[in-house]
Amino acid sequence: MSGTLKVRGLNKSFGGIVVADTIDLDLHAGKVLGLIGPNGAGKTSLFNLISGIVRPESGTVELDDKMLNRLAVHKRARLGLSRTWQHVRLFPSLTVLDNLLIAPREYSADRLLSSLLLPARSARSEEGTLERARGVLTLTGLESVTETPAVDLTYGQQKLVGLARALMNEPRCLLLDEPMAGVEGQAYDIIKKVIRTLTDRGVAVCVVEHNVAFIRNLCDEGVFMFAGKVLARGSVEDLIADPRLTELYFGT
Amino acid sequence: MDYIYSVVILVGLSIILASSFNLSIGYGGLISIAHPVFYAIGAYASALLSRDAGVPVVVSIFVGALVALVASVMVALPSLRVSGDYLMIASIGFQLGVLELIKNVNWTGGAGGLTNIPAFIAPTFGREAYVLLVLIAAALTILIIYRIAHGPIGRAMSAMRDDELAFMALGRNATSLKVGIFALGSGIAGFAGALYAHYFRYLTPEQFDILQSSALLTMVVVGGIRTAWGPVIGAVVLQVLPQAIAFLDLPTSFLGPLQGLLFTGLVLIFMFVRPQGLVSAGAVWRPLRRSGAA
Repeated sequence: MSGTLKVRGLNKSFGGIVVADTIDLDLHAGKVLGLIGPNGAGKTSLFNLISGIVRPESGTVELDDKMLNRLAVHKRARLGLSRTWQHVRLFPSLTVLDNLLIAPREYSADRLLSSLLLPARSARSEEGTLERARGVLTLTGLESVTETPAVDLTYGQQKLVGLARALMNEPRCLLLDEPMAGVEGQAYDIIKKVIRTLTDRGVAVCVVEHNVAFIRNLCDEGVFMFAGKVLARGSVEDLIADPRLTELYFGT
Repeated sequence: MDYIYSVVILVGLSIILASSFNLSIGYGGLISIAHPVFYAIGAYASALLSRDAGVPVVVSIFVGALVALVASVMVALPSLRVSGDYLMIASIGFQLGVLELIKNVNWTGGAGGLTNIPAFIAPTFGREAYVLLVLIAAALTILIIYRIAHGPIGRAMSAMRDDELAFMALGRNATSLKVGIFALGSGIAGFAGALYAHYFRYLTPEQFDILQSSALLTMVVVGGIRTAWGPVIGAVVLQVLPQAIAFLDLPTSFLGPLQGLLFTGLVLIFMFVRPQGLVSAGAVWRPLRRSGAA
């Protein structure tokens, strides 16, 4: 499952607002990189650029030496690029289990014709996915809400399902957008545990997070972003200790 | 008796049309009301192939469905690549354009209609056999769409309607799912059109205009969108009611407007009183069966 992500010279602006200014970024297998910066620094925009939702004006994104630039969003996901969303974005009309069953790399209904004409093959593929989903639900401590509609979950549970869903496609690289926002107690510990499990398997992880304790605890390295630029990179401790960055983070 | 057969066949074909329309507009969330144009394409293609090219009807019916399917892909592919909204505009333009074309070229019989369409089954096995054929086709349509809607494709359609961006970011190809669903729904409509052509043996372009679109939409909405039985009930009610009214001893000057009022009136009443339709869809998607489910 190990993966590396290489971003080079990424540029993007919306109107006059620059959200990415010549960004270089490296994610390494088994390492967690923390993206730190105030609101509006371009952290989520960077995730959108990497996952293909927004196209850059220039620059490249490579996953395991494979160029992603020209690939559509769903094709990048199928190569093992997974992400979560700041506002979760679960499918409210599906149960927790079905939210997960939508998300494997190979989905039985991806090939519409063969899933219509060869229902037996489609059923076998569903069986395999179901097995996988049960494993992920155990890992994320969600077994008790398996058949609960996503719309009926607490916010913390929704965050966990968002993470669980992103694990379904066996990610090589995982982008987590504020996984801890609005999360406390048990879910908090589970999310930490899951990220550790992933890095042990060699997944490259990138986290956008405002929770300093979490960043300190989990990230091998940090990158400080401001106004679409990478201003500094280094150990999380060094970044937090830098008075210049603290001033930018909290404003003057 | 022939009248009853005709009504039953029209009800059966309406069930096929309303169910397949429900597949694309309901389950697929693809907003287009041009469903009758694919019905027309299937009807005309099969009629012309069998009448003028000597293709056996049993083959031409399937070719008719295929032509409707291919035509729908040609409409859906360019518009759905941009956004769902364009499908509505493109498909209405396509519907109007195709009907104008049928009216203005000679080989379709023009506005006067296409006549002498070869009969199928009825001359050898009787009209009852054709009724049976249509009812079997209707039952199969309901079954196939039910299985699709509650299988992996149905789950994917549900997720896509909920949040298309999240759906794509999980590796799912929204465009191909939409085009595929639209094509399948349109192909089934084309098949129904071909069945119509070889029973009634006469086609005019007016049968497939916007009025027919609104009738189909009424069937789906009044019956219950995104349910297997809603469109069936809608099709039966809205095919039988106008026929029943015709039996009332009313002057024709009153009867025509009354039937028109029935359609629009029903939609208005349902919008206020029961927006979910006669059969209401559950808020949560449910699979056909799940082995080992908790």
